[in-house]
Amino acid sequence: MTSSGSQKKANPFWRFFSSVKLTIVLLILLAAASILGTVIPQQGQGAVDFAKRLDPAWFRFFEFLDLFDMYHSLWFRVLLTGLSLNLVICSIDRFPGAWRRFRAVPKPDRNRPFADLPADRTFVVRTDAADAAGRVGRFLRSRLKRVREKTSGDRHFFYGEKGAFSLFGVYLVHLSVLVILCGGLVGSFFGFEAYVNISEGEKTGTVVLRKGMKPLKLGFEVRCDRFRVSFYDDGAPKEYRSDLTFFVNGEAVAERSVRVNHPVHFRGITFYQASYGKIPGGKARIGISGGGPDQGTKTVEITPGEALSLPGGEGKFLVADAKGDFMGMGAAARILIRPEQGKEIHFWIFEHPEKILPRLPGPMAKSPVFNASAFPPYTFYLKGLESAYYTGLQVNRDPGVPIVWTGCFLMIAGFFITFFTSHRRIWIRLQGTEGKTVVSVAGSAGKNPVGLERELAKLTADLKALLSRPDGS
Amino acid sequence: MLNTIILSYVTFIYFAAFMCYLLMMVMGKDLPGRVATWLSAGGLLIHSAGITLRWVTSHRLGIGHAPFSNLYESLIFFGWAIMLLYLIMEWRTRNRSLGAFVTPLAFLAMAYASYAPDINDRIQPLIPALKSNWLIAHVITCFFGYAAFGLSFGLSIMYLLKRLDRGEGKNIFLRLIPGKGILDELNYQMVVIGFLMLTLGIITGAVWAHSAWGSYWSWDPKETWSLITWFIYASVLHSRLVRGWQGKKIAILCFIGFSCVLFTYFGVNYLPGLHSYAKS
Repeated sequence: MTSSGSQKKANPFWRFFSSVKLTIVLLILLAAASILGTVIPQQGQGAVDFAKRLDPAWFRFFEFLDLFDMYHSLWFRVLLTGLSLNLVICSIDRFPGAWRRFRAVPKPDRNRPFADLPADRTFVVRTDAADAAGRVGRFLRSRLKRVREKTSGDRHFFYGEKGAFSLFGVYLVHLSVLVILCGGLVGSFFGFEAYVNISEGEKTGTVVLRKGMKPLKLGFEVRCDRFRVSFYDDGAPKEYRSDLTFFVNGEAVAERSVRVNHPVHFRGITFYQASYGKIPGGKARIGISGGGPDQGTKTVEITPGEALSLPGGEGKFLVADAKGDFMGMGAAARILIRPEQGKEIHFWIFEHPEKILPRLPGPMAKSPVFNASAFPPYTFYLKGLESAYYTGLQVNRDPGVPIVWTGCFLMIAGFFITFFTSHRRIWIRLQGTEGKTVVSVAGSAGKNPVGLERELAKLTADLKALLSRPDGS
Repeated sequence: MLNTIILSYVTFIYFAAFMCYLLMMVMGKDLPGRVATWLSAGGLLIHSAGITLRWVTSHRLGIGHAPFSNLYESLIFFGWAIMLLYLIMEWRTRNRSLGAFVTPLAFLAMAYASYAPDINDRIQPLIPALKSNWLIAHVITCFFGYAAFGLSFGLSIMYLLKRLDRGEGKNIFLRLIPGKGILDELNYQMVVIGFLMLTLGIITGAVWAHSAWGSYWSWDPKETWSLITWFIYASVLHSRLVRGWQGKKIAILCFIGFSCVLFTYFGVNYLPGLHSYAKS
C-alpha cells in the first residue's frame, strides 16, 4: 500500500478507509445483506403476510432492523456510504502514486531491461550506427509516445511508451460507481414515484405518491381518451395502450399514446403503462317482468342513480349501486325501489344468478337482499352492465437518470481501459561495430505480458525491415 | 417442432463430446480428443442452425421475435454461449483438457431445456413487457457473462485438481491439465470477460427496466442477485489485482461466484419478483 504522506498514514480514520481488505469485507457484507433482502419479502402485501406469521419477538427484531424495507434502511445506507468512502479514500490514497508513474519517464540508457533478453530480440544489420539511430528515432516517434534518446560513444539508446492512460482506468471505474450512486441520491431527493388510475373519458391533475400515499398536484391535467388491450389468439396479452391528452390551464396541448416499453414524457414527468381494470361506468340494462298492464318482460336502459317509474306505476326504481365483477362471476346491480306507499326496499340482482346464488351461504341466499322478486309482482333481471376501462399509470420524475446513465457509460469505458489496455514501456539499444549495428529490443508492461511479447516481436520485425532497406525510407 | 427436435439431438452430441474428452483424459491418447473437438464444433454448428431455424419459424408463425424470451430459449442460448467460448479457448490455448469440465455444463443446460417436464418449448408470442429492442442486448450480454463464469468455474475445478498432482506424471488425468500458472491466468481472463458482460447485462437491464417499469432499479430478486454476483466477482478482481491473491483462494471465490450465477439464473425463480417470464 502506497501512502502519499506519513501524516495521512498515521490517521487511523484514513488507514481504516484506505484498506482494500475493507473493500472486500464491505462487498461481502453488502452481498450477504442483499441475500437477506431477497429472502424476506420487502414492503407491500407479501411483507405484511410474512410479518403476520412471525413470532412477536422475531417481529420486533425484524422491525428494529428494518428488515421489511431493508434496502432503504439506515444500516444498509451506512454500508453503501462506507463503500463510497472506502472508494474515495482508496483512490485519493493511491492516485499520487499512479500520477508519479504516469509522469515519470525512465532514462533511455538503462541496462536492466536488456538483462536476460531472449535471442530473437537481438539482430544485426549492415547499417552504420548513426544512420540506424536516425531511422529508428523517426520510426519510434511515429509509433510511440514520449520518445527519448541518448547517445554514449557508439551506443544509441531509445525509450518510448504507449497506453500510459491505462493507469487511470481503475480511477474512472471508481468514479463511475460514485456517479451512479450520486444519480440514485439525486433521484431520491428531487424525484418522485407516483401512480394514478384514470377512467376512460376522465381527466385528473393529481397523482398519488407511492411513498406515504399522499396526493401530488402535477401542475397540468391528463385525460385518458381511450384504453385498449389486445390479445393474441392464445389469450396472452399483446398490447396495452392508453391514449392520453395533456391539458395546461384547461387547454389541450398534446396527445400521446402510452404503451408498455414506450413511456410518454411531458414537462419533465414520465408516464408508464402499469396496469388497467374495468369499472362499471355506463348504463345498466334491466329486465322487468310480472307487472304493469301487459305483465310481459320489458327491458330498459338506465343510468345508475337515475330514477324510473315502475311499469304499473306503483312507484319508482333506480340502480343504486353496480359492480362490474361480483365474486369473480359477473356483473351485479343493487336495485332500490321507492314505492308510493310503504317502505323503500333494495336487493341485488345478478347478470348470472345461476352462478352466484348457489355459492352464497344458505341463510344469505334466502335473505330478501338477494331476492330478485322481493317487490311483487315484479322480478328484475340484470341483462348487462356497460363497463369502461380505467388505465393505471406509473407517474415518475427522476432527474437522477441522466447521471446514472453517464456513470454506466464511464464504468464501461473504465473497464475497457483497465482490462484491455496496458502501459507498455519499450527500450531499444543500438550498438555499432565496424559498420554494422546490433539492435536489441526490450520492454515491460503493467499487465498482459503475452500482449507485450506479441508487440515486441512485431516491433523487432518492423525494425529489421526498416534497417535492412538501403535508403531507409 | 423441427427446431426443438434438432436442439434435443444436440444434447446427445455434447454428451458424446464430453465422453470423448473424458476418454482422452483417462487414456492420455490424442485421437479421442480430436474426435471430441470435431463433435463439439459440429454440435455447435447444428446448435446454431437450430436457433436460427427457431427464429425463422417464429417469423413464419407471425409472432416473430429473437429466440431469447423464456427459460427454454435462454437455456438453449446458455449452452450455445458456453460451447462457443470454450471452442475459442481450445483453439487459442491448443489444450483440450478444459473440455472435460465444460461440455457437461452445456450438456446439462441442453438436457434440462429439452427433457425437463416443466419446461415449455413452444414458440410463444411476446407479452408487452418483453417487446423491446433491449431484450436481445440484455439476454446476449447476460448469458455470455454466465458462460464466461461457467468456464471460470471449470478452470477453478481444474486448478483445485491440479494441486493434487505431485509432478511425477503418473496420473495421466492430472498430467494433461495445464500448469497452475496458466490455469490461474486463464481463469482471470474469463472472470474479466464475465465481469464486463455481467456489468453490460445489468446496465442494459436497467435501461430496459427504466422504460418498461419506470424504474432503473427496483431491488427485484433477480436484479439483487445479479448485483450479489457482481459484488463477488468484484471481490475476486480486487483480491487478485490489489492484494495479489492467486491460485486456490481465487479458485474458491470463483466457485462461490458461479454458485451465485446459478442462483441468479434458477434459484431466484422460487422467490417472488418481476422476472416471472423467465420461469417456464
